[in-house]
Amino acid sequence: MDATYIQQSIEQLKTNIFMHVRHRTLLQYTGTPVVNENQLFYLLLPFLNGEKWNKQIDESAITVGIVHASLYEHEKINEKNALNKEQQLTVLSGDFYSGRYYEILARSGNISLIRQLSEGIVSRCEHQMKVYESKQYTIDQWYETISVIQTELIKRFYQVYEFEQYSAFMHTGLLLLQLLEEYRHLQQGKPSILFKKMIESAEDEKLFESMIENQISSLKNLLNEYLQSSNVLKDDLKLYIKQQIALN
Amino acid sequence: MEKMKLKILYSDLKSDIDIIEKELEKALNSSSHLINDASLHLLQSGGKRIRPVFVLVSAKFGHYNIDKVKNIAVPLELIHMASLVHDDVIDNSDLRRGTHTVKAQWNNRVAMYTGDFIFARALEYVTSIENKRVHQILAKTMVEICNGEVIQIEDKFRKDQNLKDYFRRIKRKTALLIESSCELGAVVGGLDDKSVGHLRRFGYFVGMSYQIVDDILDFTATDKELGKPAGSDLLQGNITLPILLLKGNPTIDQFIDQASVGEVTESGRLEMLKVVRNSDSIKQSITISNQYLRKALKEVEALPNHPMKKKLRDIALFIGKRKF
Repeated sequence: MDATYIQQSIEQLKTNIFMHVRHRTLLQYTGTPVVNENQLFYLLLPFLNGEKWNKQIDESAITVGIVHASLYEHEKINEKNALNKEQQLTVLSGDFYSGRYYEILARSGNISLIRQLSEGIVSRCEHQMKVYESKQYTIDQWYETISVIQTELIKRFYQVYEFEQYSAFMHTGLLLLQLLEEYRHLQQGKPSILFKKMIESAEDEKLFESMIENQISSLKNLLNEYLQSSNVLKDDLKLYIKQQIALN
Repeated sequence: MEKMKLKILYSDLKSDIDIIEKELEKALNSSSHLINDASLHLLQSGGKRIRPVFVLVSAKFGHYNIDKVKNIAVPLELIHMASLVHDDVIDNSDLRRGTHTVKAQWNNRVAMYTGDFIFARALEYVTSIENKRVHQILAKTMVEICNGEVIQIEDKFRKDQNLKDYFRRIKRKTALLIESSCELGAVVGGLDDKSVGHLRRFGYFVGMSYQIVDDILDFTATDKELGKPAGSDLLQGNITLPILLLKGNPTIDQFIDQASVGEVTESGRLEMLKVVRNSDSIKQSITISNQYLRKALKEVEALPNHPMKKKLRDIALFIGKRKF
């Protein structure tokens, strides 16, 4: 297995997600669903590492991808002005994808995954809402929020199929990748709402930048430790994860 | 007055409706203060709770157990509530039933997350039912409701639409969830397939009538009764039955053109309302609504004898004659 095979597997999952939520009008106005390839990689990690992977698990991975796409659609909604047709249909595309994931799992009678994903969405929404609360949170609490938003649904998927031995890689890897992306936006002068709230918590932008740099550095060390000490993960995958971080 | 009628209608279901209300509160409980505030805001803005009532009444035809039945009644109301929160973003509505919408009170993004939270809570709640059929019905309904809303946006300000377009739209927008409420109540109550079918069709016909009455009230009720300006549907480009029956009327055509570019004046709105109210289209719409009600009542007749048959009839008739 090499990086090309991993990339092809991610592409295949992406294609399957698109196929399951295909809708003529939504496609025309809101485009294809947005999926995060880093998340797709960690969804597929047990499969790529040679774990038992059947049709049901494959379908479940597709639905987790659909839920991510659904929630992402709603993040595209403008806070003040959602008057145009694209925005209106973006609201509905998120709802449509959400209905489709439920429909797919209902057809196969996978009630336990429906329950896990619903609980995961609840938790994610509660964390997403924090940026609109007047309450002050600490920087560590904000890291927790980023982590929940990035990893919660994959964590639930791992729980259902007993892939929890991959949780530490996934948790550290996705938090690190997201912080790298957010940090890049900050440097470009376009911080996300969440990062703006974090700056408020740190009370000083320069101090905040160094805090983030330290956090990124310790997460890199932690991930390296996991990779070095792991007997679970194949070498090709360890290399891929390292390259993924280096590229970001 | 209308609320009093409804209270009387629900009186013998009161203890079970109270259970549903408490469960709704519990389901909406969140670790996020903001979600709690938004949800409480929604619960307090009221609602007729017709979907849970249809679940309860339908289930009463079979082996009724509120502890089981609530597992479908609560999620159906939650799904309805969540879709209203998202609809208000789509329609840019600041008022619903006279109170500020979540999007107006906070912002669009808060409304999106609140709606997503409520949808997820609904599904979390319904997973206490292990019956695959229940999930299939509910999932299909959710997808179809969405499809209906997509069509509604596509049809906005489209003057060349016909009655078939309208009926297809309201079927998905409203009738389906009421149809599913009756069907799922019957399934959870363990009714035979024939009775499930009668109750499902009853729900569909009542749902169609319900939406037609809603569309009539948008023109005939006062701003105060509606909790928003009368004629709001047409202002937003939703061409409903009373307007379709007035096809070709120059005042209405002009109003649609102006509304489509956001150039409607208050006097223009009042003039449009006058034209609709003084026309025959309201009367014709009522006739069509009543035709659906008659079909619904026929389905009730076909059900086995049961004291709940009268309740179904009464609710259907209330829906057909309601004033809010």
